[in-house]
Amino acid sequence: MLKREVAKRVFAKEFEACRELEKSARQASELADSKSPNLLISPLGLILNRVFVVGVLTELDSIGTQNEMWKARIVDPTGAFTVYAGQYQPDASIFFSMVRVPIFIALTGKARIYEPEPGSVFISIRAEEANVVDEEIRNRWVVDTAEQSVDRLEAFSEALEVGYRGEALREYLLERGVSEEFAEGISIALERERFPREFARQLRASIREGLKALDFEAEGTAEAADQKEFVLELLREMGGNKGVDYAAFVDSAVAKGVPEEVVEEVVRSLLAGGQCYEPRIGIIRLVG
Amino acid sequence: MDEKIAPQLEELTRALGDLEKTGIRTEFDKLLAYRVPPELAKESILRKFGGKRKILKVKDLSASLKNIEITGRILDLGEKAIRPQEGVQESPSRLYTGVLADETGSVMFSSWKELPGSIGDVLNIRNAYTRLWQNRIRLSIGEQSLVSIVPNSSIPPLSELSESPAKKLIDIGAADFSVSTVACVLQLSHREVLVRGKQSKVISGVLADETSRLPFTAWVELPGIDIGSLIRVEGAQIRMFRGMPSINLVSSTRVSLVGPEEAEKLAFTFESAAKEPALLKIEEIASRDSMFDVATAGNVVSVRPGSGIITRCPECSRVVQKGNCRVHGKVEGIRDMRIKAVLDDGTGAMFVMFPRELAETIYGKTLEEAEQLMFSDISKDAVYEDLRRFLTGRYLAVRGNASQGEYGISFVAESSWVPEDDLAVRAVELLQRLGQDEEDSGFEGGINLA
Repeated sequence: MLKREVAKRVFAKEFEACRELEKSARQASELADSKSPNLLISPLGLILNRVFVVGVLTELDSIGTQNEMWKARIVDPTGAFTVYAGQYQPDASIFFSMVRVPIFIALTGKARIYEPEPGSVFISIRAEEANVVDEEIRNRWVVDTAEQSVDRLEAFSEALEVGYRGEALREYLLERGVSEEFAEGISIALERERFPREFARQLRASIREGLKALDFEAEGTAEAADQKEFVLELLREMGGNKGVDYAAFVDSAVAKGVPEEVVEEVVRSLLAGGQCYEPRIGIIRLVG
Repeated sequence: MDEKIAPQLEELTRALGDLEKTGIRTEFDKLLAYRVPPELAKESILRKFGGKRKILKVKDLSASLKNIEITGRILDLGEKAIRPQEGVQESPSRLYTGVLADETGSVMFSSWKELPGSIGDVLNIRNAYTRLWQNRIRLSIGEQSLVSIVPNSSIPPLSELSESPAKKLIDIGAADFSVSTVACVLQLSHREVLVRGKQSKVISGVLADETSRLPFTAWVELPGIDIGSLIRVEGAQIRMFRGMPSINLVSSTRVSLVGPEEAEKLAFTFESAAKEPALLKIEEIASRDSMFDVATAGNVVSVRPGSGIITRCPECSRVVQKGNCRVHGKVEGIRDMRIKAVLDDGTGAMFVMFPRELAETIYGKTLEEAEQLMFSDISKDAVYEDLRRFLTGRYLAVRGNASQGEYGISFVAESSWVPEDDLAVRAVELLQRLGQDEEDSGFEGGINLA
């Protein structure tokens, strides 16, 4: 029975830290199937192959020499995903050949790992299907992904606290209602991860910053929203979609009566929220 | 010849035990008679009967198991003559069918050989297998199965086993064939149908309790029972229809109204049961064989080929390819529109089918408008391509029926909407769960969430 594989929700920061899950580490039942996918495991014990990501497409390069091959970068509030699409991913390739950077996109794909030499590991996504989406869908993805990540962070921290290992840990987690797959993942991750606490702490901080940076229409005080709207409008006016020199922008905003720290704050939240980005240092450019 | 088969037989005996007694020798000889090389014959027999034999309880049975061992009490036993197929020279054989039960449930069985014992005896069956017959799991006892009577068994007595177990609706599945339950009537309608050339009245509707909902059919009259009634059903039959259990109220079923005093003690009322189902995670839906009338939400991660405008056979509604119906040949098809999509929430994935009316609502185009698009574009997949651009990545909630199939869960949507839950509220809750981190509090900033 070939079931549709779930597309895991994972932030770029955790995805980038994934490593290959050796087949021998898996349960016997999975081992039996020769069609079983190449799985990765994150430092928190998330086992994955297919992923679904929504973020800002900030870079797009055609890198193929003989055949068409696209390399893309999708940014979420915690980092960036590297995505490839070539001749064997025709749907995604067609999409990339038509899309203009920067824009919000949703993408499903398979996790790939490339390790040219020991110690240097490249994690990427081989695209399957992609589409342009709006900011609401991006925000929902961030909240959904944060929710699932926080669930996992909590289970993981608990596993760290109890101090069990291997089979004992697995049983303990199963009793606590953790799924079989994730209990397995945590016990494997704890065997191999050198600084689990440190990674969990960093991810926690990233998620927190990412959530704070989200721009929900009906939130914040009216004044803050107004100021933000003003700065955004000014940015649109000055740079359009071409981008604007940051220092010049701040000067111009201050001249129009917006305090410098407000401008900085808004720009920071726009950057973190993926509504604008820095194509080059000192240049900011609006998305969409 | 014997020199060749002796070592193979020896190996089979080591692996499988007494070859003569289990009929494996006969099987082996049959293969040899078809000029199968002894070595290959051994391998195929080992594949069929070898491996570790699993000792199972009734509740653990699933379709297509091989070489299992099971112990149960015979609840029912009957036999019927099977007419041999034309061209087959064997004499008419008899098929023995019945019901086998243990403390975990009961299962229908069929046997090609006469069984020792009768109703009430406990049988131990080795080398049995299972298969699906009319959407139900059936235990099959073949020529190679070893059946023996267990004289002193701990299997509960007949009186206890033949009582229909009281179950919550969510626990009713393909393994049940007779159950008792307390539920309330959510929907009810009367129809007349032709059964074997006779007009019969049939009542169909939906039952609900605090766990779930299930469709029901009554082939008997239900005086005094209407929508909103709380009823106790004893000895109802369970039928499987499209992978979904359905409760059948037949003449032997006892149906009674639940009194007001008892109704107060129930975990549900008509009002609570009639409420819209809460959104489940796809993971929860995936953990069951089927679920009737449930709701879930997720992203459309893929719009599958076959979505868009299709042509159906006017006779049988099958999808027509190039003007040809699989059954009725060349037909003048009827146009229809549907969407087949994969909905995924990160915990599970399922195939969702949106029939025409829903497809039109979601897509925002009627079938006629979509046809315009199809005729105005050179690509024959114009509507499918447009649907993909429109739907991929979107977030949708669906309500309908889910069942497990060959490729995982398939879900037929009866309604669909864009959920409006408050992302800002969820984000604030998450920030609280994440707690403060001393090292980061220094450069806190950004926009405060209300």
